[in-house]
Amino acid sequence: MSEATDLAARAGDQDPRVGLRAVVALRRLLEQLEAVQVRGARNQGWSWQEIAAELGVSKQAVHKKHGSR
Amino acid sequence: MFERFTESARRTVTGAVAQAERLDHPEVTEEHLLLSLLDTAEARALFAFTALGLRDRREEIEAALADARRRGGLSKAETDALFDLGIDVDAIVRKVEETHGEGAMAGARRNAGDDLPPREATRVRGRLRRKLLDHRPFTPEAKKVLEQSLKVALGRGDKHIGEEHLLLALTVRPGVVSEVLKDFGAGYGDAERAMFGEPR
Repeated sequence: MSEATDLAARAGDQDPRVGLRAVVALRRLLEQLEAVQVRGARNQGWSWQEIAAELGVSKQAVHKKHGSR
Repeated sequence: MFERFTESARRTVTGAVAQAERLDHPEVTEEHLLLSLLDTAEARALFAFTALGLRDRREEIEAALADARRRGGLSKAETDALFDLGIDVDAIVRKVEETHGEGAMAGARRNAGDDLPPREATRVRGRLRRKLLDHRPFTPEAKKVLEQSLKVALGRGDKHIGEEHLLLALTVRPGVVSEVLKDFGAGYGDAERAMFGEPR
């Protein structure tokens, strides 16, 4: 690899867009996983209270977010 | 709003309903709007897809939409971004599906009558099915795409809404469709350039 392309590649690695994009993707992945797990818990008969306690949020918050699903 | 739609844009919207029927989906989504555009013979859409190099890639696009849905709406670009961080989304999806069933990350489709006792639920679904035979509703997001097409047309100073505005609207609204279009090199700027030349 020539010096110029090497530098370009390294500059690319520091592009904040790449990192920010990964953060957004991670957030979306997290939301999906949460939805799957909450649905699974509800199917197993867990109460909103129990789910909220595990997630570390209020019962109202978890019900508002997932209650309609 | 609909009175501003051109004949061909109306045919595209009707075509989206046909796509939902073909895929046996109870609602019309923005994905069905895109598939309808891809299948259309309307001149402007054909021109745009040819310029964007998408004319022969319909099946690839449909597969990419299905993949993204299976990953819970994560696009190829997002999946790659996470892979660079050391997170293998496909492995996660496989793992989740092992425990929670196929398509678990895509979200279980909520059915009418889910919260009712079984006998009552069957009655509600029967009623719903009869209703669906002649009416398939647009999802809120699909409606937003139609609204966005009006905004796009107004923003460009166009008096009518054509399928070109529908396509631009699909590239603008956040979600699986715009992400997949972006992955295929058809972001808003690309589509606008392909149809109208340099962006204004």
